[in-house]
Amino acid sequence: MGKFKLFWKDNGIGYLFLTPWLIGILTLTAIPMGASLYFSFTSYDMFNAPTWIGFDNYTSLFSDPKWLQSVKVTVIYVFFGVPLQLAFALFIAVLLNKGIGGLRVYRAVYYVPSLFGGSVAIAILWRQIFGGNGLVNNILGKFGIDGINWISTPSTALYTLIILMVWQFGASMVIFLAGLKQVPIELYESAKIDGAGPMKQFFKITLPLITPVVFFNLVMGIIGAFQAFTPAYIVSGGTGGPLNSTLFYTLYLYQKGFTQFAMGYASAMAWVLLIVIAIATAIVFATSKKWVYYQG
Amino acid sequence: MKRNLLLLSMIALAFLLLIGCSSNEDAGETNEGESNDNSSENASENDADEQIEISFSWWGDTGRHEKYNEIVDLFEEEYPNIKVDRQFGGWEDYWDRLTTQVSGGNAPDVVSMHQFYVSDYARRGALHVMNDMVDSGELDLSDFPDAALNSGKVGEEIVMVAKGITMPGYVYNTAVFDDLGVDYPGYDWTWDDFVDKAYEIKEAMGEDGWAFEDGSGGQLQPRFRYFARQSGQDVFTDDGKLGFDEQVLTDWWTMWDNMRQDDVIPDASTSNEYEGLPLEANMFATKKVAILGLPANQMYLYEEQMGEGEINIVRHPHIEGGPNGEYIEGAYLSITEASPHKEAAAKFIEFFVSNEKSVKIFKTEQGPPAGTEASNLVMEDLTPPEQRAVEHIQNTVELSEPAPYAPEGINEVETLFADNAEAIAFGQKSVEQAVTDFMSEARSILGE
Repeated sequence: MGKFKLFWKDNGIGYLFLTPWLIGILTLTAIPMGASLYFSFTSYDMFNAPTWIGFDNYTSLFSDPKWLQSVKVTVIYVFFGVPLQLAFALFIAVLLNKGIGGLRVYRAVYYVPSLFGGSVAIAILWRQIFGGNGLVNNILGKFGIDGINWISTPSTALYTLIILMVWQFGASMVIFLAGLKQVPIELYESAKIDGAGPMKQFFKITLPLITPVVFFNLVMGIIGAFQAFTPAYIVSGGTGGPLNSTLFYTLYLYQKGFTQFAMGYASAMAWVLLIVIAIATAIVFATSKKWVYYQG
Repeated sequence: MKRNLLLLSMIALAFLLLIGCSSNEDAGETNEGESNDNSSENASENDADEQIEISFSWWGDTGRHEKYNEIVDLFEEEYPNIKVDRQFGGWEDYWDRLTTQVSGGNAPDVVSMHQFYVSDYARRGALHVMNDMVDSGELDLSDFPDAALNSGKVGEEIVMVAKGITMPGYVYNTAVFDDLGVDYPGYDWTWDDFVDKAYEIKEAMGEDGWAFEDGSGGQLQPRFRYFARQSGQDVFTDDGKLGFDEQVLTDWWTMWDNMRQDDVIPDASTSNEYEGLPLEANMFATKKVAILGLPANQMYLYEEQMGEGEINIVRHPHIEGGPNGEYIEGAYLSITEASPHKEAAAKFIEFFVSNEKSVKIFKTEQGPPAGTEASNLVMEDLTPPEQRAVEHIQNTVELSEPAPYAPEGINEVETLFADNAEAIAFGQKSVEQAVTDFMSEARSILGE
């Protein structure tokens, strides 16, 4: 009792201030997560009581061709999308860091796509740009090239979504810009005296010094890309088509849970995704010792 | 002292937040849990002073949204204490949203329903069984012919009430056919005629378009279902198993695949591009195709949209010497089991299907009204395309025979059907391969 009183005296106020957040995390995150873990071991259609089936949901994932397809699509999306987006963000950040006039305006302009990027309107715009009579094909037409319908062709549909992701480079760009500002100018000056060109300066000075920022952006990018949903949902009209070529993991999860009433199966999918993201992040963390350089 | 005051007010705020959250939840729970008691306590929701709100959802296009909003306005005038929240959108989004709402426990009180999907909801207990309401006259459907009332039953339970009865067919625009110099299709035609007509149209159209949209996949009904029934089978059996064999499916997909290979119908990527577009942008309205499979009640929309020629309808093609494929289709209203205001919901449904002003706005929006008096009321002032639709519906309803309700898992089987049809269209699977894949997976979904 005395101990509790002491604890309360020291920390009570802190917990009181935390109350709103605690309520939030309990009711919106912790309890639903616990429930979904339980459901993942059951057959549950959301109307009738769940029945316990052990690991059946998990084992049947691996013999479900659509699940395998959704894994493939998502891995391609993460594997190509994230590095491309980071490279592009870094490229623009380096350009903007040259101290050109009106930097603030440019920064805002380039950031805008990330604000709208996940929205329905942009996904619809994308359908127009890459459609059969869209902008891309109009430009190609000027050069006498007959374009295809990029979004309705299974072999290209996913790549239009990767481009959409790359286009939303603004958030990581702003973080890169902040990182670039931290690189001491003296280093460049002495490098110049030693005769290093801009490329050499970038690879020998800039890149090594901003590896912590690259690391951060990479982790956030991977986590975000694994969970991508809106672009595929809107661009494919919720089907993941054509021919399941944009069947993102989360989209298939949604279809299973909410249109086919297989909530147990969907919960199992969610937990597998969580584990995969955790592993991917852990791998990046493990390798980080070899390539991330912390100053001082 | 000052600091303590601040502290105190923060604590008070935190508690208020806590209490605010929990009391809301409590209210929600009692409403849902004791809805039956509630409705018997406030036995007369309509003349009580208590303001209540019910919600009503439907699918359709802009024209329908205007009509239904008008009907709802009239209802609110008649029952000033009931406010109706309206939720509407296109057909495809509608079903996605409804499953999400129902499973999330926030489905509208009154939902629009369809025979093909009703069992997915009814068999899981998501829809209110209305037998007692109908027997007691609380929901007065005495004007409904037995056939219409029965079409809203799953087993013996009345789970939905018909807004309108409709029948599908294939429609064409006379102006488009005249321009092409192609003869109109005959009202009773066979699938062989259908294919012949396709080649004839394509020849006349050249590079400008195709005969009709790719009908090989998508939904299981009406197209494929007619074909299966005309082959003496059906998509499902009464006990919820797959109702057709490999041969029927092979014939079906081969017929479409041949036409696709000859460029008589659009290639897969073009079909995909036009999928789910609104009426004014779809292939028929923009004259990319000359024939369209359509429920008769929507004919007038295309006649208005296209602005020239008449939209005429012919029967679904049939198999020479085979049985009829026709079965009754319609659009229905259901009350959800979780609704806290079932009585007001029933009043709304009754108003919708039988109030004189309401049915005069409805006319044949989703087919002629099911009630005898209501359907007589609307017959007086129909436009020509609406008259043609009613005529077609009357003709084909006479030929119709009952069709089994879809089993649970219909959503999954339908996706499988669409996926395999698409795989053929994109040349990823042979017809043979797709048939084998579909049959084995569909049987395992339906527990065979």
